[in-house]
Amino acid sequence: MSSKVLAFINFKGGVGKTATVVNIGATLAKLHEKKVLIVDLDPQSNSSVWLMRPDRWREHVSKGRRSSFQIYDDALHGKARFDFDEAVVKGVVTWTGFTDLPRLHLLPAAVELLRIEDRIHELRAPVVYQILDSALGLHFKGYDYVLLDCPPNLYSTTKTAIFAADGCVVPYVPDYLSLSGLMVLAEQIAEMREKFAPYLPARRKPNIAAVIVSHYRQAGNVFRLAVNELELSLSQLHATGLLSDRATLLQPYIRHCVRVAESTSEHLPVILYAPGSIGAQDYCDLTQRFVDLFEGKK
Amino acid sequence: MNYLDLSSRLLQLGERLAKHAGKIDGETLGRSARRLAAQLDAFEEHLDSYLASRKSGELLLETLIRSPAGKRHLTIELLKHGLRRIAGKRLKSEDLPAAKREFIELIHEAGKQDKGVEFLQGAFAQAVHVETGGKDKLHLQHEFIRLGQLADEEFAQEIGKRTFGELRRMAGVNGIKFTDKTTKRRLTALIRRYAQRAALNIGVARVPSQT
Repeated sequence: MSSKVLAFINFKGGVGKTATVVNIGATLAKLHEKKVLIVDLDPQSNSSVWLMRPDRWREHVSKGRRSSFQIYDDALHGKARFDFDEAVVKGVVTWTGFTDLPRLHLLPAAVELLRIEDRIHELRAPVVYQILDSALGLHFKGYDYVLLDCPPNLYSTTKTAIFAADGCVVPYVPDYLSLSGLMVLAEQIAEMREKFAPYLPARRKPNIAAVIVSHYRQAGNVFRLAVNELELSLSQLHATGLLSDRATLLQPYIRHCVRVAESTSEHLPVILYAPGSIGAQDYCDLTQRFVDLFEGKK
Repeated sequence: MNYLDLSSRLLQLGERLAKHAGKIDGETLGRSARRLAAQLDAFEEHLDSYLASRKSGELLLETLIRSPAGKRHLTIELLKHGLRRIAGKRLKSEDLPAAKREFIELIHEAGKQDKGVEFLQGAFAQAVHVETGGKDKLHLQHEFIRLGQLADEEFAQEIGKRTFGELRRMAGVNGIKFTDKTTKRRLTALIRRYAQRAALNIGVARVPSQT
């Protein structure tokens, strides 16, 4: 299986990273019959508790054993305790107690990931960058899409995700704070591209493959102007070579939808919780463009 | 629990029951068995109806019809067109929910589920609305940024060369909202304000001279 491994990154928080990962992942599995793995790398574990009831998640990741934390802990201690089949959760359990979306798999995160950043510097390059790729690379081949949900920073865990990925997807809220962050992000990724180059196959170069706009509101000038500034900025980043020509601003923009927020409390992606909502419809359309982009139908 | 777990459990239960069937009896066990049999009847009914509505195991066609994309993009006209193309049949229903049901039935009758799925996926892909902004969008965005970098006098000169229609087009492409009542003077002020802001925000604003 030719898998697409994509790191969802933005070092600004609250831009809809997790919502994008969870809802694109669920739509790919449900409507496009793709086999999808979501890897939660954020100590806040938001993808995990969105797709799992908190009691089940706590029990599953107890002491970090069956979570992405174990991968980094193993690397730090030179052990091999991580067991992929044991750690991965298959499907989403609905309120009936039965599993839906059997093609959607999740490697949950644990709060213990917080401890990793303090110690990970003990490992030297390139070993530190390769942690995730070495542990999961072979398993990725069993999926059509692997979506890496990164923490809102560009520290070591995120770097391991960028190293393991074929490309980066940047969720974005149309405002100036996001805009200023995007330019720094593009510079940082360009730096990583140079740093990682000796250790990566030639075809795999860290780059921004797509930008996705969420929390969009139609009213007034505010968001239209902000999206225009984003487009101008992307055009400038293309011109300076910081962004590859293939980097795309994906449409449609995800509009603000209360049903999406509500679906987090139901521990279901919006396509299952409120399939008639504008949130579900926007994610369906966006996922279509996502497939077109990553499967070369652009 | 998932359905595979349930099926293993039922298989194991069946094996145990078959092994001991000749030697078990008693009122409590009998009552419990009767309740289980009733529950199994109900479950089988639900399962049969689920599978029947998705004949020959073709689940995706129905999933797509009932999906959020189906809700947003499907019209009677589109379904009529699809059915004619795939199965050479005419859709009779006049309202959308009935037309969706009829579409599924007739596609199944013709045994063209794969073609039906292909048609719906293609239709959804085409229907996704992407705002392109027209052929000259990129040019007008670059012009906008250039205007944002100009000093007041230069800006006034540049604007003076443009028609009201050109200014409206530039404002529209660059996200500035205006109405039919917006005057040229007001539109010019808006372009000035937001072009300067854009130049500043994306870091290409002219740095004031030190001298």
